[in-house]
This record gives sequence, C-alpha cells and structure tokens, in this order.
Amino acid sequence: MKFGVFFEISVPRPWGPETEYTVYQNCLEQARLADELGFDQAWAVEHHFLEEYSHCSAPEIFLTAIAMQTKQIRVGHGIVTCVPELNNPIRSAERAAVLDLVSGGRLEFGTGRSATWTELGGFGANPDETKKTWDEYVRVIPKMWTQERFSWQGRAFSMPERSILPKPYQKPHPPMWVAVTSVGTEIDAAARGLGSLGLSFGGVGEQAQKIAGYRKRIQSCDPVGEFVNEQVNTVSFLYCHEDDEKGITTGQRMAGTFNYLSEQTLATRQAYPTPSYLSPGLLYQLRQESTSGPEGRVPEGLTIGDPHRVAQAVARWEEAGVDRINFLLNVHEMVPQEDVLASMRLFAKEVMPQFQRDETPEPAGATAAGGA
Amino acid sequence: MPLTGTRDLSTIADSAPLLTSLETEPWELKGAQHLQLHYELGGDRQALLPPALHPSIPPTLLVNVTHAPDSEVGAFTLATVRVGCRAGARPRGLLVRGYCDSASATSVLRERWGFPVDLADVHLDPSYARATTSVTLDGATILAGELVDPQPITGADVQYMATLALARVARDGEETLLIQVDPDYTFDRAQRGVPRLTAFDAEAWNLPGASGAHPISASLTTVDMTLPRLRYLVHPDRDPLKAVERLPQPQPA
Repeated sequence: MKFGVFFEISVPRPWGPETEYTVYQNCLEQARLADELGFDQAWAVEHHFLEEYSHCSAPEIFLTAIAMQTKQIRVGHGIVTCVPELNNPIRSAERAAVLDLVSGGRLEFGTGRSATWTELGGFGANPDETKKTWDEYVRVIPKMWTQERFSWQGRAFSMPERSILPKPYQKPHPPMWVAVTSVGTEIDAAARGLGSLGLSFGGVGEQAQKIAGYRKRIQSCDPVGEFVNEQVNTVSFLYCHEDDEKGITTGQRMAGTFNYLSEQTLATRQAYPTPSYLSPGLLYQLRQESTSGPEGRVPEGLTIGDPHRVAQAVARWEEAGVDRINFLLNVHEMVPQEDVLASMRLFAKEVMPQFQRDETPEPAGATAAGGA
Repeated sequence: MPLTGTRDLSTIADSAPLLTSLETEPWELKGAQHLQLHYELGGDRQALLPPALHPSIPPTLLVNVTHAPDSEVGAFTLATVRVGCRAGARPRGLLVRGYCDSASATSVLRERWGFPVDLADVHLDPSYARATTSVTLDGATILAGELVDPQPITGADVQYMATLALARVARDGEETLLIQVDPDYTFDRAQRGVPRLTAFDAEAWNLPGASGAHPISASLTTVDMTLPRLRYLVHPDRDPLKAVERLPQPQPA
C-alpha cells in the first residue's frame, strides 16, 4: 500500500488579498512535509470556476512548485481535462513532459473530462463530446511522447506532422490514469490499460466491486500506451489524532464541508440532459457515503479518528484491492495548518509503517532513470 | 460558507397565496407536455434570492411551461420562471410568480401547493421542428421562447429541479415561507434542443434585473406528473443550515 496527498485547494470566503496566497503556501508546506514523511505521491486536481470548492486551475504550475521543493514524492495530475476547449492535447503532452523532466521523472499523468456544467459551459464545451475527446486524447498523448514525429487526423483535433517536444524523462512515458467517478469508467480504464484513479470519497463496498471488475477486464486490455498500468488509487479524507473522538469529529466536519461545497456547483446532468453523463446521484451518493455511516458510525473506509481506527480503515481499503490511497488533508482551511501537519506526522509515525511491506520502488512499466 | 441571497421576500409576499392547511393529497396530471428552457442567469445572483438560499455556481434561470390536457379541473397550461439555486446542498428552483390560463387550476395550485400563480394567457405549441411558448398579460407579452432543433433523448437523461414556491402560511400567525414542491415524473417521450428566449419581462415575474444571459439547454417531455403531498418548508430568512422544516407525514398503514 502506498500513500499520497491530494489537493483540491479550497479557498473560503471572504477572499482577502492574502487568502489564496496563504492557502497555496499551506498546501506547498503540506507537500514538503509529505515528502519528508515518506508519502509517495502528491496529486492536484484541475478545476475551473468552482468558487471556494477548488481554486486549483493550473495544476501543472502547482505540481512544478511541489517538484522543485521536494526530493522523492511523485507528482500527479488528478486530472488533466481531456476536452479541447479546456486543453489542447499537444500542449497537455508538452507541459506534462516538461514537468516530468524538471521533476526528474516523477510524473503521474491522470486524465478525465470534467463533470460540471460550471466548467464545461464556462469553456463552451459540448458535454455530448467529452467522452469521445477523452478517448482520443489518451490514445494520442502517449504517441506524442514516444514518436519522434507525430501527425493526426481525428475528431477532437488534427495536426500536420511535427516533432512534439520535449519528451518525458520516464521511458517509455509516465504512468497514465483515468479519473473514475461514473459507473463503467473503471472498465474504460481497464480496457485501455490505464490506472484507475478513484475520485469518489468513501464507499469501500461500491469501490470493491469496481476494482474486481477493473482487475478482470485489464487482463485482456488493449493498452493505449506503451505499457499496462494496473493500479488502483482511491481518495479519502485524513484526520488522524490521538483523541479518537476529536479525530472523528474533525474529519466528519471536513467531509461534510467538502460535500456541501461540491454540491453548490452545477452538475452537467442538472443542466444539460445527455446520456454522456450518468446521474449525478452516483458521485454525490458516494460522497455522501463518506459522511453518513450506518447508525451514526464512521463510514467504512473513512480515514479519520485515532491511529488504530485509521489503520483499520486503511486495512479495509487494502482488502478491497486498492494499491494507493490519497488523502485530502484539509477543506476550506477549517483545520488549522499546524493541526493538519500534526495529523500527517501522526499518520506517518503510527499507521504508515503497518502497511509498508513488499513495496516495489518503481511505478509499473516506467523507469525514472531512462533519460533522453 | 457559500454566498447566500439578500432578498427580503416578505416585501413581495402580499400577492402570494395564503395556505391555511399544509395537508394536501397528490394530484396526478397524466400525459402532460413539459417544456424547460434553461439559461445561465444574468443579474445580481444574490439580490434575487433570500438568505436561506445559495446561488448555484453558476446561478440559472429556468423557464418551465406545463400543458396538462386532462385534470380534475380540465385542461390548463402553467408557466413559471424560477431561479436555480441551492437549499443547503440541494438543487432547487425559487418561484416567486407564475401564470396559468385556467382560473380553476390557478385556485388549486395556489391553495394546495402554494404556487404564486395568477391568470394570464399561456400557450405551449410543440411541433416537429420546435416547441414555442408565450405568456401574455393584459395584452403584453411577458415571455416568449422556444426550443429549436429537437433531438430525441430518453426520459432518464432529464433531471428537473424541485420548486420552492413563495407563499404565506397561516399557522400560529401568518408566515412567509417557501413551499417545496417536488413532483414525481414518469417519462413517456423526451427531446432536447436549443433554448431561445425572445421576450422576458423580468418585472412581471417578480425577478427584477434577471435575464437569460447564456443558453444552456432546452427539453420537451411528455410525462405523467404527480404533484406530491407537501413534505418540506423553507424559512427564507434563516441560515441555510437551519432553514428547512420537515412536515409531519402520515404513518404507513
């Protein structure tokens, strides 16, 4: 089991001149500490226009800052939005390659398509098309990274032959992932040989079923990249405290606030009737699972409470077949920074060692020592 | 805490219906045709909502026109314009004024569900190429719009927001409240198209300054629609986290 940190970068109102600066600096400090403590990855979302919920619109810059301030931790796009109105695929490949180079081969490349009208509508994107454009992006980007010269005639974009430069440091290319929130996306990931980047909070039982389907389907995949990245990542909230009750209370407040903020955005399906987006109920239902356990108990798999309780939750994820857990460390700055850092230290001291066994040092299929 | 509204709804509550009972039985409207024109809202997003509601991100304007061909009070056509928002974390549409072309249906909607509706000429005219709608009040067109370029979709693709209707409720004294009306829908047919709002008199809908600033989508459905028992009220001036009141429900036999 590997552990990572996951940044949404939520910024509470009122927005003073220092507010966003402070939140970003806090996140960078958390990333530095994560690196020192032995966390394996730092992921950052790409979101646009999501007031208070996420101000992380330029993750490639934020991740570059993390890479420059750390030594070991891998940096993950969670995710690059594969929609032409938001990201040109050539620029996505170029930016990712540069990040991989400057980080010394530490990039994880997550892909997805956005779930909100807030974002898609803001860029004038057609929700009917996003699944198709995502599919095209994940097939062409590894070719852009590995072929000396590349040309393409497609649906999302076309280009004459050019050398797309630079090439990533990892050879043949960085591990690729898909954000999995909608039903069936884990199968889309498996069919293409991509890692499953679970972005639904909580819901161990639901995800265990998805993981089983993913593991089965990937055995007969047709990989879009140069190698199969069979790995399952999930996300949970982390608040670890010696006092179990305080850990639970604070963690549940974090989860509840996260859900409340996320629900203020306009889900695509609420605005634009389309079969391309399944009912928003699933995502929201899974998020709800992170806050409402049976009979008032802490929901299964929610990593909050004292170290013993947190370790039990991690073990449950491990049983479900998850390879990595990424932790959301704070929401809306509701937890003071020193308490966030203390929670990370306690987790690293008491919980992390229980799961550090039989680790493989390199990500599947890619080598960071390849060089150009 | 996300932004909240600033509007004092009591200042426009005089013309809202007065509910003397919150007990009502469901009303099924079979084979209704329902047009929705969905826009991003232009105007001050906080000034149109009360403190109990959050503007959604982005806030929206929902034009809904329902033609019920057969009901216990005969055929009628109802038009509403709502502001898409959030009651806590729930998507809702705030309704402060609507119009209906039937006096008897207007009475039912006002008295049983607190819909702040008044009489006007309301039309919904679907055809294969488009569906047009208009509302005329005292000879003036206060709303005109259409769905163009209809494409078939399934009813499962359509999601409607529940309504919060501005009403006065007589309990221990008279209160200005929002009545949640969350109909059940069984879809027969559904089409999606492009919305076009060609006339909209915001004042006539009690939404000063509002406009349809950016088109999102339009849908036309044929549905069996059931207006439900009342289950929730929202106190418009309260904190969003304390604004919802759950009404007692009959125990299952």
